[in-house]
Amino acid sequence: MDKLTFVLKKKTVTVLLVMIAVGLLAIVIGYFTGTGGNRVAANLLLNNYYFLSMALIALFFVAVHTVAQSGWQMTVQRVGEAMSAFIPVGGLLLILFFLLGGLHTLYPWTHEEHLDEILIKKQPYLNVPFFYIRLVVYLGAWSLLAHYIRKSSLAFDSLGQMSYFSRMRTLSAIFLVVYALTSVMSAWDWLMSLDPHWFSTLYGWYVFSSMLAGGFAALILVIFVLKRMGYLELVNDEHMHDLGKYLFGFSIFWAYLWFSQYMLIWYANMPEETIYFIERHNHFSGVFYVNLILNFVVPFLLLMTRDSKRVFGILAPVSMIVIVGHWLDLYMMIMPGTVGGEHAGFGLVEIGAFVGFLGLFGLVTFWMLAKTPLAPVNHPYFKESMDYHTNY
Amino acid sequence: MYVSPIREPLIKGSKDYGQVTKDILSPMAGKPSKYWYMGITLSGTAALFGAWATFVTVYYGIGTWGLNKTIGWAWDITNFVWWVGIGHAGTFISAILLLFRQKWRTSINRSAEAMTLMAIAMAGFFPLIHMGRLLLGFFIFPYPNTRALWVNFNSPLLWDVFAITTYLLVSLIFWYVGLIPDLGTVRDKATGKIKKAIYGFLSFGWTGSVRQWTRHETVSLILAGLAAPLVFSVHTIVSFDFATSVIPGWHTTIFPPYFVSGAVFSGFAMVLTLLIVARKALNLEEYITIGHIENMNKVIIITGSIVGIAYITEFFIAWYSGVEYEMYTFVNRATGPYAWAYWIMMTCNVITPQLFWIKKIRTNVVATFIISIFVNIGMWFERFVIVVTSLHRDYLPSSWSMYKPTFVEVALFVGTLGIFFTLFLLFIRVFPVIAIAEVKSVLKSAGENKKELHHE
Amino acid sequence: MNKYITAYYNDEEDLLKGLREILKKGVKVADVLSPFPVHGLDTVLGLRRSRLTRVAFWGGAVGAILGFGFQAWVFTKAYPLNFGGKPFFAVPAFIPVTFEMAVLFAAFSMVFAYLIHNNLGPGSRNVIHDERITDDRFLFVVPIEDEQQAGAIEETLKAAGALGITLKTKE
Repeated sequence: MDKLTFVLKKKTVTVLLVMIAVGLLAIVIGYFTGTGGNRVAANLLLNNYYFLSMALIALFFVAVHTVAQSGWQMTVQRVGEAMSAFIPVGGLLLILFFLLGGLHTLYPWTHEEHLDEILIKKQPYLNVPFFYIRLVVYLGAWSLLAHYIRKSSLAFDSLGQMSYFSRMRTLSAIFLVVYALTSVMSAWDWLMSLDPHWFSTLYGWYVFSSMLAGGFAALILVIFVLKRMGYLELVNDEHMHDLGKYLFGFSIFWAYLWFSQYMLIWYANMPEETIYFIERHNHFSGVFYVNLILNFVVPFLLLMTRDSKRVFGILAPVSMIVIVGHWLDLYMMIMPGTVGGEHAGFGLVEIGAFVGFLGLFGLVTFWMLAKTPLAPVNHPYFKESMDYHTNY
Repeated sequence: MYVSPIREPLIKGSKDYGQVTKDILSPMAGKPSKYWYMGITLSGTAALFGAWATFVTVYYGIGTWGLNKTIGWAWDITNFVWWVGIGHAGTFISAILLLFRQKWRTSINRSAEAMTLMAIAMAGFFPLIHMGRLLLGFFIFPYPNTRALWVNFNSPLLWDVFAITTYLLVSLIFWYVGLIPDLGTVRDKATGKIKKAIYGFLSFGWTGSVRQWTRHETVSLILAGLAAPLVFSVHTIVSFDFATSVIPGWHTTIFPPYFVSGAVFSGFAMVLTLLIVARKALNLEEYITIGHIENMNKVIIITGSIVGIAYITEFFIAWYSGVEYEMYTFVNRATGPYAWAYWIMMTCNVITPQLFWIKKIRTNVVATFIISIFVNIGMWFERFVIVVTSLHRDYLPSSWSMYKPTFVEVALFVGTLGIFFTLFLLFIRVFPVIAIAEVKSVLKSAGENKKELHHE
Repeated sequence: MNKYITAYYNDEEDLLKGLREILKKGVKVADVLSPFPVHGLDTVLGLRRSRLTRVAFWGGAVGAILGFGFQAWVFTKAYPLNFGGKPFFAVPAFIPVTFEMAVLFAAFSMVFAYLIHNNLGPGSRNVIHDERITDDRFLFVVPIEDEQQAGAIEETLKAAGALGITLKTKE
């Protein structure tokens, strides 16, 4: 039988705390050595948003499969639930970041003295109080739903009443609807308004697709780490194959949305829209193309064969590449508008902030994993997941 | 493989393999019912209207339509997009549901795919005829010619040519390859010599050998893997016809996934319309169960909601952009001369699918039938609103104009409906409506009597 | 030798169980025919994996290169024209057709390879061992090299629960 309890070892905690310390140090050094104050703030936003999104996508994974009444994912369900525990943590950090100067530093529309006529028109939406109200609504809804979905899942497993089963389904459905709306709106608020003169109706879904691919890559890597530690023996090739298929499919989906947004703006050639890509293509051209290679070419070519998705030897490195790739994608969304081509770069602050947030994310995930049994063994679909084998 | 006992059976009535063959082949046997004759008379008459309207258009010209300089596209392109959208459900059911291993697709995929082929054929008719000289339609293909001129690969209209052609051909082979084993069944059960010879020819010599089957599964899986991005790409390229322009209401980056969702939305509605009638008329309610209908309704909620969110996004970003032309387009849609069309669209597309959140409604066959028709009406109006309202009032007020369809245009559309339903009625007589072999392959894991069938 | 034995089962689970026994006893099975694909059968029979996926991949690659190359040639060498100020080598504009060509070529090359390799096509003549294979019968074919063995083989098949054991001659 599978090891049902995750033991959070002191060594693991130490490593993760060191990572967090590295992150804090990098940020402090970056700030005080004057790495262009914007760059530090931009990195904080980038990594905060990225890891918060990974937690949200983990919850999305659980919710979608619950609503679809699928059974195969049961052996990995708890991993997704644990990753979602980061939502309130990442959310709180984001609120603090905005309150302690991040909002004013990065967002041009907050400088109410310098607004041009276009930004004045946007004021009913882009104003500080409304921004904070929306922020609290998004994070509150996400945190509450994550909490209650996790609670229902655990209660169902330990108490077995079907009422928890239908409650999980209902809460998951509510989360999907809420997330559909709030993911789009939060992308407008936190990312699109960094370039407040620009707009794109696809932006919300494009950001979602980017986080979707990154989030699934993260899920795969967390499972990989747990298996290396000796847990999750019941997760077999078939489960990994399916997760690999998701990664493959979502990477292609991301490329499709990237291309749609880019090509349509390129084709119509309207200056108020093209300026967005001109900045990125001309001042960040390396990142521009590396973004496409890491997020599309690599997963497309390397995850095409059946075997590649069943073998951690390929799945894990590709997942790591995709995680870096979508971090770069987010970099491309944030840096040009906030830091600009001359000051942006890849240095201590970038790497340090990423490591720091990764450490925090890992700590919260493992802490939550240790609090619950590693598999919902009493779930009526669990046996399907244990016995999981397919023919394709 | 273990299947949880709390799952609903997909095939009711405690069937065995022989019974499955009998049930699915029975609509093809004997004489058609009087309702079938009534149906085909009606659809045939409609088709004749279309034939007359085609003649009038080709002989007298596009002047017999209601188009003008401002509104160069109206019913023609609306109908084109509507039909292409409907076709998407078949591929979605065959390809995407196969990739997601949804066993419930096995009862509906054959007829849904057939519906796709018919819908694409009807869709393709409109771009051909709206160019006026139908018989010169082959100009759109890149062939060496005396003018030394090639087609314009920069134009989304040309991308459409490749997309629709590829979609038609790939859907055709996907449908046919899946059909071959079932045609073998029809051949082996056929009694008359002519029938046996025809189906013998059509079944390509199928024997049921293990190698044929294993490779057949591989081919189906790869075709599904190809058809899934294909179906996305086709309606995306159709959306590019509008989104690559510069006019408000057309040039917006959300069009590709929004059109694809809308297509699946309307396609599933059409599948429901057809199958709710077919399952009753052909006694196939034990195969196309309420569970199947409920699942299709869930897809309708999802895709309908995505369309709804797209509407909200478009409207919000139109305001957010600060561009007065964008804002005007949306205000005009809701309050201008075509507001009636806009509100029909909103009611049918945003409100009616949300009714399916209520379990009683989504498991009710009559309610589903009515809602499916409203969805298709709504989606027709959505394309009409997008095409016509954006054209009739764009940047230059001196060009603003109005459009009304002529009888010829209406007859063309009615004609395509006629041909579509005629083809479907013929389909149910000539081919097995449900994928016999696929249903048999899930019988043990999803049939009602799965406990008795297993004896491991 | 042109003699063979056919026998059948009425259920695929019996088929798999029976075949395992028969193969263990050293009897060769030339073919197994069924109304639907039986999962696990190719493993029991030791069939190797299909190469059709590779055909599809290379077909797609050919289609993509043809599509992209042709567009590039038309717009840079054959008859370059200025469309709305777009560059002659307009990569974003070439993508949709390239993609469609890739899918078209991948699908058709694979399906044609499948049909040809399995001798399926309009006018193909294959032996139909039993008309109920496409209905509810799971039949298998055992080749007979040595006629004297036929009796022993029939015994093995009967012991494994096979029905309708018949000795036939190839036409």
